[in-house]
Amino acid sequence: MSILEYNGGAVIAMKGKDCVAIASDLRYGIRLHTHGTNFPKVFEMGPRLYLGLPGLLTDTQTVHERLKFRLNLFELRENRPVSPKTFGAMVSNFLYERRFGPYFVEPVVAGLDEDGKPYLNVMDLIGCETETDDFVVSGVCNEQMYGMCESLWEPDLEPADLFETIAQALINGFDRNAGTGWGAIVHVIEKDKVTTRTVKTRMD
Amino acid sequence: MALQAVCRVPVKAHTKLDLAEDETLEDLKSVSSILNDHCSLQIPRINGLENFLTDENGKEMKIHFAHGTTTLAFKYNGGVIVCADSRATGGNYIASQEVRKIIPINDYLLGTMAGGAADCTYWERVLAKQCRIYELRNRERISVAAASKLLANMVYNYKGMGLSMGVMIVGWDKRGPGLYYVDTDGTRTPGRLFSVGSGSLFAYGVLDAGYRPDLTDQEAYDLGRRAIYHATYRDAASGGIIRVFHMKESGWERITEEDCKDLHERYAAEKPETSRPSDEKYGVL
Amino acid sequence: MSSERYSFSLTTFSPSGKLVQIEYALAAVAAGAPSVGIKATNGVVIATENKFKSILADEHSIHKVEKVTNHIGMIYSGMGPDYRVLVKRARRAAQQYQLMYGTEIPTGQLVQRLAAVMQEYTQSGGVRPFGVSLLVCGWDHGRPRLFQCDPSGAYFAWKATAMGKNFINGRTFLEKRYGDTMELDDAVHTAVLTLKESFEGQMNENNIEIGIVNESGFRRLSPAEVKDYLANIV
Repeated sequence: MSILEYNGGAVIAMKGKDCVAIASDLRYGIRLHTHGTNFPKVFEMGPRLYLGLPGLLTDTQTVHERLKFRLNLFELRENRPVSPKTFGAMVSNFLYERRFGPYFVEPVVAGLDEDGKPYLNVMDLIGCETETDDFVVSGVCNEQMYGMCESLWEPDLEPADLFETIAQALINGFDRNAGTGWGAIVHVIEKDKVTTRTVKTRMD
Repeated sequence: MALQAVCRVPVKAHTKLDLAEDETLEDLKSVSSILNDHCSLQIPRINGLENFLTDENGKEMKIHFAHGTTTLAFKYNGGVIVCADSRATGGNYIASQEVRKIIPINDYLLGTMAGGAADCTYWERVLAKQCRIYELRNRERISVAAASKLLANMVYNYKGMGLSMGVMIVGWDKRGPGLYYVDTDGTRTPGRLFSVGSGSLFAYGVLDAGYRPDLTDQEAYDLGRRAIYHATYRDAASGGIIRVFHMKESGWERITEEDCKDLHERYAAEKPETSRPSDEKYGVL
Repeated sequence: MSSERYSFSLTTFSPSGKLVQIEYALAAVAAGAPSVGIKATNGVVIATENKFKSILADEHSIHKVEKVTNHIGMIYSGMGPDYRVLVKRARRAAQQYQLMYGTEIPTGQLVQRLAAVMQEYTQSGGVRPFGVSLLVCGWDHGRPRLFQCDPSGAYFAWKATAMGKNFINGRTFLEKRYGDTMELDDAVHTAVLTLKESFEGQMNENNIEIGIVNESGFRRLSPAEVKDYLANIV
């Protein structure tokens, strides 16, 4: 069993029309044992910038804290908010620093850049970046979520439709995986607001 | 011929099967030993079982089946309750959410399924055949003790070769309600209350807390159902539909088959606000 | 070890609270060749004198205007060898930023890092402050930038400024000539005029150097282009 599957957990993100959405499940478990059902794997890093960190959850917390530390220093030094692309580079460099003893997380960066353009980026655990124009998935049931995304996603979804699409793709994806689920949280990021909703799901 | 009639096999088809000249059948028999004898499976020709279970580098080759399941059965004054979830997993992948893990052997016998799904279904099917033959030969129903022993003996022949089953045989015979636990290690033991599978510990917790011999039927159904529900909540490898069966003097009855999701909502609504999990998030600092 | 003798900072406070080493460094700058920087609406110009003592010198092999990144360039007044150390440090800092964040370094960030280096040399043991002031010009996200960086590590953002010999006169001249709506061509012209104010001898394309930055990046003007600008000066 891979250490990346030890705690379970899934993250998904999608682009829409002038908006972007990112979502995760809420389970916190150890192998088959579910300990908690309120562990979001997506974190707010800026007003229009979110970071998903599925993987080994101890590393999820550590990486979140350390990146927040670096991000705060950056924003103080440069006196401006970080752009999603720059933040992606920060995360990637941070992970590659531990090339031979990596953090077991596969981060997703989602946000709107200075011009309000959607940005998506997914990385492996040592920081290989992949920017996409449609959707990204990360975590234990990525095969199932890819299947859902390929069939549900279409270009230029409005925020409401994007919410429905990402929630369905996540839920129906992780319902085929034992290590994920127990609730979901979805953030839809628009130029002037971010809508955060928790979604009821199966609890088995 | 009696068996033939009971099984409603057309006489024509039966004679055809009996024809030794039928080359297809002969060919089949030469490659598939279980066509002649359901209890003789082919074993690789290797000296010693240790060699069978390890490769040339000494690495273990044993096929590991996911034991992801929760099943339970308990006796009470009203008979025996049998409950199970319906999830089948391969690793973390959920292969099915609507497996039937409570297998009817006949009208008075039920078997449960935990461990390898193929092993359980196969051997309980063979057991069904043996029980029917017993019935025809002896003009009376087989006892639960005898049925469970038949199964235990059959699988004992393959001990150490990778079979994986943990089953409960539940029935009603002359002695009243019967409940046995049988597994592929060779264990066969009667008891009042069992739970088997990866979620069994969670089920035991609920079961032991709520069990009394003088439960009413409804109370007993609810106890079994709740025990499985809590197991599906805590155990990632259990879930889907919760099935409740009741073994009575008149044979088994299917009581309810309910989706975990509906049960979760029903039970959550019953709970007082204060006893629900807190809103504090683990991941957020 | 003899090096330990000088392992304390040479820049120490005088009883009156001054760091005279820094003042000497500033004096070295004030004695150096004049340089000018002007921010226009659509770009920035930096210009300096580049005089040679002998007519035998090859004027176009060694430059005072240096490119740091595609959109940042710099010049100096003061000591040439010290300048080259800082150019090297600036280029390294810019590439480090690019590697870390995947985007080009903002001019302000580069200046901050350079200023940190210069400050370090006022406090470290066994070293002396740099004998140069820098003019750093850049183009960030559609906006022109112009900074001056002194030996003390202090840095300033300017619309237009002059450094080096006669810098007071240069600034006075710029105060009169500078306008907020100035375009780059006009700014180059003004920069040349400012240099001309204190120029001794005949100014030509071989004894001044000009660098410009606009949305297409930073570049040093060729002698032919400099000549064209000089031709416009009556």
